[in-house]
Amino acid sequence: MRSRLASMFYANAQMNPDKLAIWCDGKTATYKEMADLVSRYSNLLLRQGAAYGDHIAIPMNNSIESVALFFSAADLGICVVPLNPSLPLEAIKAAMAAGDIKHVIARRAFFADCEKSGGLDIPGFAICLDKEYPGTVPFEKINEMPVERPEIDHDVDGSESLILTMTSGSTGTPKPIDISQDNKYERSMAHIRVYKITQDDKILAATPLYHSLAERLVILPLILGATSILLPRFTPAIWLKCVEEQKPTFTIAVSAQLAQILELLKQPDAPKITSFRSIVSSSALLEASVKYELIDLLKCEFHEMYGTSEVSTVTDICFQETKNKQNSVGKPFDEAEIRILRDESESDFDTDCAPGEVGEIAVKSKLQCKGYYKQEAMMNAAMFGDYFRTGDLGYLDEDGYLYFAGRKKELIITGAINVYPHDIDVVVGRLPEVEECAAFAYPDDRLGEVVALAVVPKEDQEINLRALKTYCARNLADFQQPHKIFIVDKLPKNTMGKLQRMAILDYVRENGLDQ
Amino acid sequence: MENVKEFIIDYIQREYDIPDDVDILNLNYVEEGYIDSLGLIQFIAVIEDEFGITFTDEDLESEDIKVVGKMAELIASKMEGAAE
Repeated sequence: MRSRLASMFYANAQMNPDKLAIWCDGKTATYKEMADLVSRYSNLLLRQGAAYGDHIAIPMNNSIESVALFFSAADLGICVVPLNPSLPLEAIKAAMAAGDIKHVIARRAFFADCEKSGGLDIPGFAICLDKEYPGTVPFEKINEMPVERPEIDHDVDGSESLILTMTSGSTGTPKPIDISQDNKYERSMAHIRVYKITQDDKILAATPLYHSLAERLVILPLILGATSILLPRFTPAIWLKCVEEQKPTFTIAVSAQLAQILELLKQPDAPKITSFRSIVSSSALLEASVKYELIDLLKCEFHEMYGTSEVSTVTDICFQETKNKQNSVGKPFDEAEIRILRDESESDFDTDCAPGEVGEIAVKSKLQCKGYYKQEAMMNAAMFGDYFRTGDLGYLDEDGYLYFAGRKKELIITGAINVYPHDIDVVVGRLPEVEECAAFAYPDDRLGEVVALAVVPKEDQEINLRALKTYCARNLADFQQPHKIFIVDKLPKNTMGKLQRMAILDYVRENGLDQ
Repeated sequence: MENVKEFIIDYIQREYDIPDDVDILNLNYVEEGYIDSLGLIQFIAVIEDEFGITFTDEDLESEDIKVVGKMAELIASKMEGAAE
């Protein structure tokens, strides 16, 4: 039995050999060329000694070769562990240890850094992607490999881990999310159905490939027989140029990117973008004004989704079809069911929140990952029966639409009153001089915590603290008032542009603002 | 000067090859996404350590440090200043 994902891709290559399979950074590959690359990559891995079930780490950049690796790995029953190449070496080594890494594929700079800090201790081979490095196999050897899909001596039934996604950043214990080949297949099929994706679509992936969103967006088109457009790196200008030239029809973007893209699209000399039939915003709720302006400029169907790497996409909403649910993240996919859990509900099963009542979002989904790799206890702790506790807060309305209300951990508890920081962000974010802002918990002897606010002013604008306080006093409840306001140059975010609210306090302290 | 240029070009290609047809000395590596604003802070620290120089606040505010050739010139001039 051969890998279903790999076989679907090879079947597409046989049916449409000359069709464009993928574009990345000015380079292209037809389905035939991509199939040859995947086979050569598989042959290279096999000749170096890779075997069924091995784990290969790769500090991953966005390239056609990286995408080929996913399909080679699928075909051989190997697991890829994509790492963020900009992480400090120590964090990469911790992630490699947590992921039982046997082999490594990396660029020269990575091997040089490893050597400086005592070398790289792995049992298997190392492949160097750019030129040569002592003790490694040059990737260029791939050109000597046969283009035939290799025979394998082990069934690949789909239960194999295909990707371990590392969720923690530069600190903390890595939490490897274990995604099987079947997971990837089911997730792709669910998205193809919900977003009516066809072989005619050109699907843009504009986030890093070491994150599950982009992995989904490159695997999906190639098993469907569509075209993948992979942005090498994200800046709003690179995105716009790529979209203008490659004319993608569908993308799932993170909301922080869309806000930046909008700024550029509003410039008088901005090109007209008309190729999209549908755009999905993910990761965080998009500000309504940004949404309206994007729809006006891009003239396409606009969706928002909610999900986590563990359970994939949970809900979706099409903005144009549900105008009376503007702030909702939508209704569940057919594969998913949602419960909203009240606090202290570990032992009590009758603790679902009433419609409109905020609680923790818990999800039961057929798209759920295999678990956290070798961290069963951590996964069990996150489960409530069959439901995965997302750590996110939200509520359902009477029609079953989900509304997002912030991260559970981000909750500010001031004098026993719960404050949802997102509510404050939205209100202060409406001020014209504010680029972005975030409320966060500040330790306080009397109240336990008080509300603090970090504000990034728009370029060339100043924040008048007195006016800001007056505005808050007028527009927020008393328990929501920020006790402390910090003017900052930026907010701490992860690589996906998601706000790291828990890191703001450290950020203002490190920058000497907390005096 | 050549080794300074080489060091910069090497560093900004840690994750991606710069295509052959790019005018590398005039490349704005931040605008082109080779290093982002957070990465730039790290890059500055690496350069200061490597060449034993210190950037002033004025240097860091200047757009020139984001351009390969101009950054190389700035580093070289600081190294000369330090050697005198």
